[in-house]
Order: sequence, then structure tokens, then C-alpha cells
Amino acid sequence: MAIDKKDKNQKLFISPNSIFYLMSKITFAFKRLTKKRVGRLDKKWDFDAQSAISSAPLVADIDGDNKKEIIFGTKKGRLYVLDMSAGIKWFYDSVEKVDEVELMFLDVENVGSIEAPPNVGDINGDGKHEVVFGTELGMVYVLDDKGKLVWKYKAGGPIRGQILLYDLYGDDDVKVIFGCGDKKLYVLNSKGKLVWKFDAGSPVQSTPGILHKDEPKIIFGADNGSIFCINKKGDTVWKYKTKDKVFAQPSVGKLFNDDRLFVVIGSSDHYLYVLDDAGELLWNYKTQGAILAKACLADLNNDKKLEIVFGSCDNNVYALTSYGDKLWSYETDFWVASEPIVEDIDGDGKKEVVIGSYDHNVYVLDSEGSYVLDYVPGLSGVMHQAGHYTDIITQEPGKVAGKKIWQFRTDGVIVGCAYIPDDKSIVVSTKPGKVDDVVHRKE
Amino acid sequence: MINIDSGNKELKRIPLYIQGLDENIQGGVPEGHITLISGSAGTMKSSLAFNVLYHEALKGKICVYCSLEQSYKSLIKQMINMNFDMTKASLVIINDLAELRTVISKLKSKGGGGLVMVDMGCIRKEIKDVKTADNKSWLNVIKNVIKRIKEEANCNLFCLDSLSALYVLSRFENPRIELFYLFEFLRDLDVTSFLISESQPQSSRYSEFEIEEFLCDAIIHLRLTPFRRNVVREISVVKMRSTACNNDIFSLEFKHSRFQAMYGGQNPLL
Repeated sequence: MAIDKKDKNQKLFISPNSIFYLMSKITFAFKRLTKKRVGRLDKKWDFDAQSAISSAPLVADIDGDNKKEIIFGTKKGRLYVLDMSAGIKWFYDSVEKVDEVELMFLDVENVGSIEAPPNVGDINGDGKHEVVFGTELGMVYVLDDKGKLVWKYKAGGPIRGQILLYDLYGDDDVKVIFGCGDKKLYVLNSKGKLVWKFDAGSPVQSTPGILHKDEPKIIFGADNGSIFCINKKGDTVWKYKTKDKVFAQPSVGKLFNDDRLFVVIGSSDHYLYVLDDAGELLWNYKTQGAILAKACLADLNNDKKLEIVFGSCDNNVYALTSYGDKLWSYETDFWVASEPIVEDIDGDGKKEVVIGSYDHNVYVLDSEGSYVLDYVPGLSGVMHQAGHYTDIITQEPGKVAGKKIWQFRTDGVIVGCAYIPDDKSIVVSTKPGKVDDVVHRKE
Repeated sequence: MINIDSGNKELKRIPLYIQGLDENIQGGVPEGHITLISGSAGTMKSSLAFNVLYHEALKGKICVYCSLEQSYKSLIKQMINMNFDMTKASLVIINDLAELRTVISKLKSKGGGGLVMVDMGCIRKEIKDVKTADNKSWLNVIKNVIKRIKEEANCNLFCLDSLSALYVLSRFENPRIELFYLFEFLRDLDVTSFLISESQPQSSRYSEFEIEEFLCDAIIHLRLTPFRRNVVREISVVKMRSTACNNDIFSLEFKHSRFQAMYGGQNPLL
């Protein structure tokens, strides 16, 4: 729209694009003034793994260069380590030689599949991080920060949960803890030798968690619906029975901002359970679908207590108070089977809830929801109704509902998301094998 | 947008090689469909399925007959007694999984059609108590064998004898889901499949979980009906997708080395 002031014959011409640009600027300024959320979600980069992906990526600085890496496994058994701009730092192919006959008994399509997110920690105490992951073939791999194999271990069945790294005995020897399809929970030492295994009586597909009160205890779910709490010697401390398979990882937190620790875990029986440290039920909350992923515990409304955010296969993401009351829920178009993220992604000082749905979309929701007024009849409406109107007077005039701020559509079913704090972006892994990095842009 | 081919093209069909019945089902079962052959003991379910595979193998197709219980020796003896000429059918036996690759390459090198008999009973005996940890193990074996033969030798027809034996071996935790995936696996493989289902003599069900009846494309029901002091073997096509079929009950006979279906086999209503 450059105007040559010397040319008196030149007419002022404003293109439609310029008008659109001007309008968007005005709208942006107006929204800023009225404190409305501005911007959109935008793709920063994507990466095609050329193989299906089953779980969320992990974001960690594994090589100590103060830059985060993005680590994830594929159905073909390849572990990728990407830098922040989707460049491959290294990859590792977990190929195992399988006897021809043994292979016939396996699900060939998924035989080497990495089903769960990898984990990162200094396992051997060398001051550097190692990457650990399990495969469908029952192998546990520990790789150094350059992708070189440190050790591997063969378990008796598929490993479908994330491997937990924890110094269980407080002796600076990090233990490698994982559930297995052979019905056992394994504890290995940092050298890859079996310390003990616990018989859960049915396959263990959930990721274990730690309940640390006085001494650490391992919490995990099993396919028979049991939630186990076992001590560091491998003895059962308590057991809580749900009515269906438990795939989800437990979350452990101080829900009421006091010393009491609580275990929050969902089951395929549609319930979210909150248990105290003795395994007693505090409350449960019924949804209409299986709860497959870990719940996120975060203070959404600054009441100093932790709220619980989780997804369900009834397509909803729920936010509950620490007392089990629903704050809000938001319905997507398909299952929510990955862990929500609670972070301030637009830098406005308020936290948002980020979820990935099987409907291919990433949703960013207002952490406090929004108050929606029910229909209140006007005077003419009241005049024309028979009876009395106590309901109108006594009931809440509305309810808090989940409020979508932004949405981003990916190429497939979303199996997991991770947050990169450095650039406030969200890495999204999808079933067809695409990994997208999505970031909030103000304009 | 999905492109739907609206052209009413003639479906390719596999005859059942039952004279008198094929004419009543537009010539046979559509290629790629899954057919449930249901009946009680002694109704000739296995023979009927074998008959289809045998004749298709003679025509140059690769057919796989997977028996979970009856040994290949017993089955072959039975078929020879019924005058099937096994020398013509390029018979290949798989009774050792370690030999699978060799057997498939032999089948490929021979060229033309072939009848592959997978004797799962023999394999089970061979590795008894070794590979039974996972419920899905035996189902995986069946899927892997058929998939490999399809990929390497282009298998066209498959028969599983029987679904009932598979349920005992694989102990389905959630039949509705697991059967859905099994049927979808067969469909994706694009083989014409015959699944043998054992039913009780007077039962109105054609399968163990009844879900199979909804998942399959066709149901052929065989039964034995007492008529005075005689027992009449009967056949009916309960359902057959994409086919204008006659659902009446026919009497079934095996005479002169072939199956024949005769109309009016049912007792007349008086």
C-alpha cells in the first residue's frame, strides 16, 4: 500500500488483504483490552517416524547441553532422540533375533514395538543420563546419552508400561521398576540384574508409581483390576480391587495441602479412585468410559489444593476438586486416552489444560472453565407458566463448563502430548507416526 | 471423501461344488468373504470345506486347510475314502513350524495350485507345555502361518477347522472384540475363508458366541434330521451377503464322489 506522495494522479488503493490485516489488529487490541484470550495454536515443525507410535514422547535433556531432547519409540522398535527443531540426534533399533518357531507364537506386527514412553535418569551414577525403555518382546534396554547400549534385560513377557527409575533403597543405586505381561512386577538394579519380582496374578500393563511416606512403596495396577501397594522388599502392603483392568499410572500427591498423601488412579471400570496411603477409598468418581491414562494433579484455581484433571473414554476431560466434586468437564469427539498437561502455554500467568484426543485434535482449555448461565425465563415466560417457581429461585442459575480456548488438528489419533518449557510448545505424538510441535502464537 | 464405485459389477464367486445348491446361490460364495460352516458332529462340515479347497486347488489356487484337532493323516485317510484323488491336489503338509519356510518355498517352486494342510494338532503335541503362557499364542500361530503363505505364495482360500477348538486353545477374554479383529484380519488378508463351527444338534445357534454369525458374510448350516428310521443330512444357506440366495433346506448327499443338494429333503408339512 505504498503511496508515492509526489504523484498527484495516484489514487489511494486499499487492498482487501490490507483491510483484513487492519481488522485483525483492531480485534487483537480489543481482545487485549477486554482480557480475552488471543492468538492461535500453530505448528512449529513435524516429524514423520515412518512407523506407528503408541505413546507420548518424553522431553528431557539427556546429554547435558542445556537443550531439551524429544524421545519416543515406534511400533517398529526404533527409539528416536530428536533435537528441538526435529533433527534426529540419534536413534536406536531394538532388533532382537527371534527363533523362527518362537516368532510364530507372537503378534508379528508388534513384536518389537515400543508401547510406552521411554524414561530418562542417571542409572549407573556416571553423572550422565541414560535412556531406558521396554519392548513388546519383553526386552529392557538401557542406552547412554549417545545411544550406545549399556545393558539389556529379557523379561518373561511384553512390557507395555513406562519403566520407572527410582532409588528404592536410598543407596544411590537407581532401581529399574516395570510391570510385565508375564504377571510380574520386576525390580532390577542399576547393572541390570534382577533384585526381585512380584507376582501380581495377572498381566501388569500399568506404569508403576511411588508413594513415599516413611519409606518408598510401589503402586501399580494389574489386569485383574487390583491396585497394589508393595514395599521395597516386594511384600504386599495393601491391595484395592476395582472391577476392570487398570492400565493407568497412579498419581500421588498431597491433595489437601497437608501432609497426607493420596493415590489417584483410574480404571477400565469407568471410575477414578482416590485412595489414602493405607489403601482406603476416600472417594471415587464415575465417568461413562474407561480411564486409561494418568491423572494430572495441579492447583487450577489457586485454592492451595490440588485439582485432578483426567481423560476418559467417554470422550470427556474432567477437572475435579480434591473432594471429588466436578469443577468442569469438556467433551471432545472421541476418547481422551492420554495424560493432560497443565501449564501456562500463552504466558498470561494463568494455567491452561492441554489434552490430546483420539478425535485428532489438541485442545487447550481454560483451567477454571467458564460459568454458563442456564435459561432463566423472562417475565413473559414466568407469566405464561403454571405452578410455582421455587426452582428458579433456589437452584444455581448456571454451571461451570469446560471452556475451549484453542484447538489444533493433527493427522491422526493422538496417543500422547508432552510440554517443552523452553519454548512453551507442546509435542504431540499421533498413531500414524507423525510427531507435531505445536506452539501458541499471539497473532 | 470416499469414492464409492456405483457400478453393479459381477462378483467373482467360489463354488461350493455342491450340485443343486450352487445354482441357488448365484454360483457360489463371493471371493474374499468369510463363511461359517455350522453343524453338529457327523454333518460333514470338514468334508464340505475340504471339497471346496480340493477343487479350487485343482484349478490352480493355493488353499490352506488348518486343522486344530484332527491329524492330517486321519483327514487324508477320510478324504481318500471319499474318493478324493490326493495325488492330483499337490498336497503339502505343515506339521513342524520350523519347516514352514522350506514348505512354502517348495510350494512356490512347484508352481500352480496346491493344497496346504496345517496340522496344528501335531504342532501342539510337539511343543506341549512350552508355549502356553499367552492366551493369544495359538491364534498368533494361525494368523502368522496364513499371513506368511499369503505373502509368499499368494494363498487364495483358507479353512479353519474349527473355531470351537480355537476357543479352547486361545481362551478369548473378550470374544466380541477379539473375534472382530480376527474377522478383520481375514478380510484384510483378502482370502476366501471357511470357518467351521461346531453346534449342538437341536440348537438354534450356529456358533459359540453368536457374534460370529453377525461378523461373517455367510452361514451354511448342516444338520441331521431323523425321518422315521432314517437320518437325512440337510443343508441350508442361512445368510449370504451380496447374494440372492435360496434359503430353503436341501437334503445333502455325497454320491459318485460329489456332493449333491436335493430340494424337498425336509419332511413335508402335513
